[in-house]
Amino acid sequence: MSTVLTTPGDQSVALHAAGLGRRFGDRWAVRDISLDVRRGEVLGLLGPNGAGKTTTVRMLTALIEPSEGTATIDGFDVRSQPDDVRARVGILTETPGLYDKLSASANLEFFGRLYGLAADVRAERIERYLRLFGLWERRTDIAGTFSKGMKQKLAIARALLHDPSVVFLDEPTAALDPEAAFVVRESIEGLRRAGRTIVLATHNLDEADRLCDRIAFVRGGLLRVDSPARLRGAHGERRLTVRLAAPSHPALVTAARAVAGVLGVEALDGVLHVEAAEPAEVAPAVVRALVAAGAAIVEVRVERLSLEAIYFEIMGVRPSAGGEAA
Amino acid sequence: MRSGIIWTLLRREWAEMIRNRLLVSTIVVPPLILTVAPIVLGAAVGERALPPELSAQILAQRPEWATFSPGELAGAFAVQQFLVFFLLMPAYIPLSIATFSIIGEKQARSLEPVLAAPIRTVELLAGKALAALVPGVLTGIVTYIVFVALASIVYGPNLFGVVTDPSWLAGVLLLGPAVGLLSVVAGVIVSARVNDPRVAQQVGGVIIVPVIAVVIIQATGTAIVDAVGYALMAAVVLVVALVGLRIGVRLFDREAILTRWR
Repeated sequence: MSTVLTTPGDQSVALHAAGLGRRFGDRWAVRDISLDVRRGEVLGLLGPNGAGKTTTVRMLTALIEPSEGTATIDGFDVRSQPDDVRARVGILTETPGLYDKLSASANLEFFGRLYGLAADVRAERIERYLRLFGLWERRTDIAGTFSKGMKQKLAIARALLHDPSVVFLDEPTAALDPEAAFVVRESIEGLRRAGRTIVLATHNLDEADRLCDRIAFVRGGLLRVDSPARLRGAHGERRLTVRLAAPSHPALVTAARAVAGVLGVEALDGVLHVEAAEPAEVAPAVVRALVAAGAAIVEVRVERLSLEAIYFEIMGVRPSAGGEAA
Repeated sequence: MRSGIIWTLLRREWAEMIRNRLLVSTIVVPPLILTVAPIVLGAAVGERALPPELSAQILAQRPEWATFSPGELAGAFAVQQFLVFFLLMPAYIPLSIATFSIIGEKQARSLEPVLAAPIRTVELLAGKALAALVPGVLTGIVTYIVFVALASIVYGPNLFGVVTDPSWLAGVLLLGPAVGLLSVVAGVIVSARVNDPRVAQQVGGVIIVPVIAVVIIQATGTAIVDAVGYALMAAVVLVVALVGLRIGVRLFDREAILTRWR
């Protein structure tokens, strides 16, 4: 009988990692990953190719052993209780990895048996997930005849078959055309609504923004973990844009700069860019000051930086036409 | 090791195998030829006598054939050469299956989801090894049984006695399965290192060389391998296979599969 080792008393935590790292030879693929994932939460692992996302997923699913640190799934340790961990996680690997000569239902039947599901449970779940992903009518078709999107959905069904505590999706839409990627994303959205605990490794910013409750930025280690909204609060929403009916003049810049909380003002033709720690809070006072100084205001907007801009800021890189430059 | 898991793996391997036409033809066609060819040749050669010097040489090594007619002696000599093919079958069939299976999984990247399931690496290896070994050994034995049944009809009692004497039984029932196991081990080791099933079969096929050496020894009349000789050869091959299996288990390490199989 296996023993639950960690997260005592906190049943809301499905995944716990502390100082997790993995070295291949002399090179560390990833180090110092420390995070918790709560039940029903969707955590994004966001980072460029080679950032260590897949290595992190493999450690958390007990596929490879960590070189340092610990991690638990439902309290079971990935290092000392790998079989218990594997029984509690579902994984969609980078490639679907289906048996192309077997039918969709035969693929699921095989994995249902590997996970020790009883015959009636197997049959019920195979039908449930094939219907959920719209593959029931194609259940007897050979998987090799499926489109990429269908294969990916079948692979997700395979990952869910044994009702895992945590589902790991490693680059689920990579190498898919936009239509197939949309279908797969919709499927993940459905799982999110159903309250599944999901770890989504991706380098697709829009996908992470749309699907994740929190995003962990990974690049050889954990750079930051936060919700998309809080990330924007911390990195993005620092600027107020005021569009004027006429070109700006120095008196308006002076008036805006005098408002408490304003860090700086930049004028560009008929637009004022007002830097502030809390732009939404200073907005009314800025508007009053500008109107008092004679400005005719057309539009006031709190600038929301894209997740892409936040990503580059956190990763410490700035892309150029010739490639990435630090 | 859990037998249920291994049985699940076997079923899956065989379900894929029967859908691979090339592999199926590799398994089915040669046994058909090998069953018919010795029967036809034995019957045809049995009509003629061997040159006197060769007959004398054979009888010196096989005094138990002294009562044979000249035609039967020629037939017995011809049929005896086919024993080696019943040893080759358990060698090449498992090699073909193992290489197709492992390299097929490498190419499809289908092992990672399996390894993510609560399955032990040794169970996976056992499933793959048995999936390759069982058809090879069974094909060898079944082909032999069919051959013996046909021989009992076509051949006279003396030639039937040749193909059912202890040396044939030891060869087919002891050395054949041992060679089959060695073949699987070679398939596993080679497939872990290369990405083309044909290359794997060519490299793995090197293990057939010692079996061919037995043929040459017998055909040239250099020495006659009796039942004890085949049993001893089976023991040696088994030891080599078990040593190879230890190497194979290491190469089949979970992490190596995930991080190095590309």
